[in-house]
Amino acid sequence: MALLQISEPGMSTAPHEHRLAAGIDLGTTNSLVATVRSGDATTLADQKGVHLLPSVVRYQADGVITVGQAAKVAEIDDLQNTIGSAKRLLGRGVSDLKTLAGQLPYQFADTEAAVPKIRTIAGDISAIEVSAEILKTLKIRAEASLGGDLKGVVITVPAYFDDAQRQATKDAARLAGLKVYRLLNEPTAAAVAYGLDQGEALDEKIIAVYDLGGGTFDISILRLNRGVFEVLATGGDSALGGDDFDHAIAEWIVQQVDQSTAHTPKQLREILVEARRVKEALSHTDVVAVTVGHWQGSFSNEQFMPLVANLVKKTLFACRRALRDADIDKDEVADVVMVGGSTRMPVIRERVGDFFNNPPLVNIDPDKVVAIGAALQADVLAGNKPDTEMLLLDVIPLSLGLEMYGGLVEKIIARNTTIPISRAQEFTTFKDSQTAMTVHVLQGERETVEENRSLAKFALHDIPPMVAGAARIKVTFQVDADGLLNVMAEEKTTGVKSSIAVKPSYGLTDAEIETMIKDSMLNAKADRETRKLREQQVEADRTLAALDAALACDGEVLLSTEEQHTLQRARDALVASKQLDTAEVIKTAIKTMEAAAEFYVARRMDSNIRTAMAGQSINKFKD
Amino acid sequence: MSLDFKQNYFELFSLPTQFPLDKQQLAHNFRALQAQYHPDRFAQASDQERRVAVQTTGYINEANEALKSPRLRAHYLLELQNVVFKQCDTTHDMPFLMQLMEQREALEAAEQSNDPLEVMDQLAKKVKQDKQLLESSFQLSLQTGNLVDAKEKVLKMKFYERLDNEVRRLQEKLEDEMFA
Repeated sequence: MALLQISEPGMSTAPHEHRLAAGIDLGTTNSLVATVRSGDATTLADQKGVHLLPSVVRYQADGVITVGQAAKVAEIDDLQNTIGSAKRLLGRGVSDLKTLAGQLPYQFADTEAAVPKIRTIAGDISAIEVSAEILKTLKIRAEASLGGDLKGVVITVPAYFDDAQRQATKDAARLAGLKVYRLLNEPTAAAVAYGLDQGEALDEKIIAVYDLGGGTFDISILRLNRGVFEVLATGGDSALGGDDFDHAIAEWIVQQVDQSTAHTPKQLREILVEARRVKEALSHTDVVAVTVGHWQGSFSNEQFMPLVANLVKKTLFACRRALRDADIDKDEVADVVMVGGSTRMPVIRERVGDFFNNPPLVNIDPDKVVAIGAALQADVLAGNKPDTEMLLLDVIPLSLGLEMYGGLVEKIIARNTTIPISRAQEFTTFKDSQTAMTVHVLQGERETVEENRSLAKFALHDIPPMVAGAARIKVTFQVDADGLLNVMAEEKTTGVKSSIAVKPSYGLTDAEIETMIKDSMLNAKADRETRKLREQQVEADRTLAALDAALACDGEVLLSTEEQHTLQRARDALVASKQLDTAEVIKTAIKTMEAAAEFYVARRMDSNIRTAMAGQSINKFKD
Repeated sequence: MSLDFKQNYFELFSLPTQFPLDKQQLAHNFRALQAQYHPDRFAQASDQERRVAVQTTGYINEANEALKSPRLRAHYLLELQNVVFKQCDTTHDMPFLMQLMEQREALEAAEQSNDPLEVMDQLAKKVKQDKQLLESSFQLSLQTGNLVDAKEKVLKMKFYERLDNEVRRLQEKLEDEMFA
């Protein structure tokens, strides 16, 4: 019998089998993988001993894909086929490109898909695929150094990532063949890395995580109580980072060197490289020698401070706002955790320390701290630490809402609500025998649809035919522990579960991912015209339903009989146009009806107070 | 092991079903329940168990949100007494609406003042006080069993919530402008 019990290394059959798990920091500039070995969390290096993997992927004509430093080196000569900062594009839609494209040097493909694709010599590539390549590289690295397959990973995401961005991150992991235990907020991971949950004090405490990366700044306020972390508020600036500090020094150098002649792009690039070197050197010494071409000079921390005072102030302003969102006083913050390479700058450490009246925690490498925290959490979720008390509770970073009539958004789940959470909303029909309706889900804090992010538009079908207002459709929105949204619907009077076709506004559909996994580029393209027509019909239904809902609520109060007739005529015209199978005609009819209803929208736009008062005064007229 | 969904929110957290709230007790019991039912505790479990965990913690979180906010707590207490709220329900108390309107106007005027942030801080403080007064008077209506009055007060609370949001939005807008 004894012979049969021999097991391979790493395939132990002991009851407390150690499962291989890793934490991954999928960053905008650099990525890292870390794991827990004999109780300690460490980041893993590649064969050359380098821990940081530049988040850069290069696509070549022969199908060769290079990831990391090798790709980064090629970036200058092969800009179009070398993709960096893919994280900025994750979960973004084609319409976001207008704002992002200026910052990104790529050529985007004309695509009918919801997800923008970058045109490379090896075909059109989405940010999800780019991220998947980075994850694959880290997976291989981890499995090589651990000597076995990864059972699961924890991947970190910025706390402010919306549903689409989180979903895209998960999709990238799926493409890379990774099982995701959990998406973890970066600031929470950083706090975990410092073991702030291990403290002897049982009272709750507040932690601020100040994360200044290469191109982004994030501030998060967390509350910790007996191993339970709660994100109370997040804030920041997605266009502020260490690069801005490089530019500040570079501008100074340009002024010193020569003000009479214009610099060539090559010279400017050299100056920028030198500026970065100077900035990094200032973290170790107070004065640095500067050399550009034949010009030589010196630059000190004392000179640096006033140059970047405004940048630093901007970050502290965001800190103030986050504290207010969390309803926390500055003095209540027990620990300040520093994350991101840019927090090595003494000027940052000093000012942040002054602001919070508390020297920040800096003893863990600020580039690695997030990956280390993720590794610790992965170890717990893998079941390797059955006695742990640690529990990480996250909140939803942005409110979820529904489109109401007039393009207004009604919030159904407020930001900073602890997840998982589910919330139900009841809808009813506005027409006799109505069997379908559409629902538009948005994420964001603003009042109007255009200013928020569209997450999904879906149609509820198979509603049993009843008189108007009799059907009661309960739509349940459920956000899971990763911050991802699921929607369910049920007609309550009959118990019929309505089928929902969720059409993600951004991100890939499951089918799209399957296709990619099979690596078949034969995308089954739906007939364009048919789809456009269908979209306009859905849009028309949505507009009609919204108008009906509004009219049912306050139409009689806000509108004169004549006005009601005008709206009714516009409504009828739209209903008629739906019968014609031309997308353009329906589109025009929608526009016409919206124009006709503009005055009504304006009246509704007035605050609720005025609405209520208007109702009051009209009633008084009648008396 | 599984949670009894038939309990009301107060019972779920072992709290008395009433408007005054022991916040610390709520926070403490909330965390205890989370520690037991959170999906992370079931990372290695079957899909079925994980789904149950998501639903259970979803319910716990929903209950927690509903109790934490005075308005939602008040709303919930009335629902427990079968008071029905409709989407179009609103208050028609003219003096109240006039007073709110004035506060809104003061808010808009604050933007033009010499120290708008300070003026807004003052307004925010005033709103908070008014809100607390309203909450006390709700408690009184509830205690005396005047559910119609109690409902009216819950509807009014919504207006303060909006005003509060508006103050915050304007504060942020001002700060942004100061930094643009």
